[in-house]
Amino acid sequence: MERQIINKKKRVFSLEPNKNPSAVFTRKYTSHLVPALKKLNMNKNSSKQTVKHEVDMALALSAQEFPWSRFLLQKLSSSSNPTTTTSSSSDGIRILERPDKEGGNEEGGIEERLRELKKLLPGGEEMNVEEMLSEIGNYIKCLELQTIALKSIVQDST
Amino acid sequence: MNGAIGGDLLLNCTDMSVLERQRAHLKYFNPSFDSPLAGFFADSSMINGGEMDGFLATAGLNLPMIYGETTVEVDPRMSIPLETTLGTGNFKKRKFDTVTKDCNEKKKMMNREEVTEGEEEEKSKITELNNGSPKSIKKMKIKAKKEENNCSNDSSKVTKELEKTDYIHVRARRGQATDSHSIAERVRREKISERMKFLQDLVPGCDKITGKAGMLDEIINYVQSLQRQIEFLSMKLAVVNPRPDFDMDDIFAKEVVSTPMTVVPSPEMVHSGYSHEMVNSGYSNEMVNSGYVHFNPMQQVETSSDPLSCFNNGQAPSMWDSHVQNLYGSLGV
Repeated sequence: MERQIINKKKRVFSLEPNKNPSAVFTRKYTSHLVPALKKLNMNKNSSKQTVKHEVDMALALSAQEFPWSRFLLQKLSSSSNPTTTTSSSSDGIRILERPDKEGGNEEGGIEERLRELKKLLPGGEEMNVEEMLSEIGNYIKCLELQTIALKSIVQDST
Repeated sequence: MNGAIGGDLLLNCTDMSVLERQRAHLKYFNPSFDSPLAGFFADSSMINGGEMDGFLATAGLNLPMIYGETTVEVDPRMSIPLETTLGTGNFKKRKFDTVTKDCNEKKKMMNREEVTEGEEEEKSKITELNNGSPKSIKKMKIKAKKEENNCSNDSSKVTKELEKTDYIHVRARRGQATDSHSIAERVRREKISERMKFLQDLVPGCDKITGKAGMLDEIINYVQSLQRQIEFLSMKLAVVNPRPDFDMDDIFAKEVVSTPMTVVPSPEMVHSGYSHEMVNSGYSNEMVNSGYVHFNPMQQVETSSDPLSCFNNGQAPSMWDSHVQNLYGSLGV
C-alpha cells in the first residue's frame, strides 16, 4: 500500500483504503456513528440509552459479514431499550467473584464457561460451540476497533 | 479440470481423487476461489514483523495437523493466500454451508463441517504440494458411506459426486479407535482446540495460561471488559457530544509519532497501510500479560501511533483516563 504525507501535521492516508478490513470496519463504524450522534445532539435527546443504542447499531451495521451482527441488529430493532451489554456486565461481576466454583471439575467448568461465553456474544446461544468460538474471535476484534473509534471520537470532542 | 495438477503430483489414486473432488467442489461453488481475500483482521502475529495478514491467521497453527499430516515445513505466509484465515474461512464456510445444504438434503451436520474442514485441508495440501514436498500421509477419513473412490479425472463427474453426497472420507489414524463416532468426536474436539488456539493469540495474556478452563475464563473476562469499556465510552459520549464541525477526516488522519508503543489492537489498525513502514520498524512485541490488558491500550493510546487519534502529541492522559484507570484498578489488576 502506498501512503502519502499530506501536510505539516504529517497525516498519512492510504491510497487503497478498502483493502484492509480493520480500516474498512472502522471507517464504516464512524460513518454510521458520527452522523447519528449529530442527529441526537440536535434533538437534545442524548440520554445514555439512546447513545448506547446508536453505538451498538453502528457496530452491528459495520460488521455485517458476521452472523452475530445480524443477531445484534435484530435485538436492537426489536427493543427500544437494548441491554445487550449492560446485562452482561452484571454477569461479569458474578464471574469475577466466584473464581473457585468450578475449579474442581474441569470438564463441568468448561461447559459452564462456554455457556457464559455464549451469553456474551449476541446470538451466541443459537450457535454451536465451534461456530461460537470463531465468532467470538470476530466479535473481540470488532469490539477492540470499536473502543478505538469511540476513544478517538470522545477525544476529538473534548 | 485439474488434470494438470494430477499429473504433476505423484500422489496415489485415492488421494488425488479426494483432492480433485474437493478442489472441484470449491471451484464449483465459489468461482472466485482463486482470489481469496487477504483476511479480515491481522492478528497479533503482525507484531512479529508483519508477516501475516490474515484474520486470526494460523500463526503457528497448522490446520492440516488435525488431519494427521506433518506440515511443519509449511511457511505460514504461504498458506495465507490459500485462505487459512479463520474469519474469511468462516465466512466461506457459511457460504458453503448454505450451498451444500441445498444440494444435499440428507446431509448431517458433522459431514458438512467435514466438507469445510476438508476444503481447508485441501487448500493446505495444495500449499504443501506447491512447496514441492509431497508426503505420503495417512489422512484422516470418515467412512460414512461406501462411495466410489475411483481415479476419475472427469471434473463433471466429480462435481456430480460431490453434489450427491458431500461426505468427506477420513481414515482413522494409526493406533486410534476406528469407531466412526469416536473419530467424529475427535475431529470435533480438535476443531474446538484449534479455535481456542486462535483465541489464545487474540486475547492478550492468554499465552501464559494452559488449559481450556483458564483460557476460557480469560476470554470471558476480556470480552466483558471490552464491553464495559465500550459502555463507559458511550456514557462519556452522551455527556460530550460531537461538535457540529466534527471533521471525519481527522479520524482517519494519522500522526506519525516518533515513539511508537505497543497497543493491543493497533497493529491491525496500523497495518491498514496508514503508516506501514513505521509499524514494521518501530513496533516491539511487548504484550503486557497483565490480567486486564485493556489497561495498556488506554494509557498508550495517548502516545502511540493510534491511527484514529489526531492529538497524539504526547499529551498527558486526560482526566477521564485516570477515572477509567481507577475504575479498572478496582477490579483488582
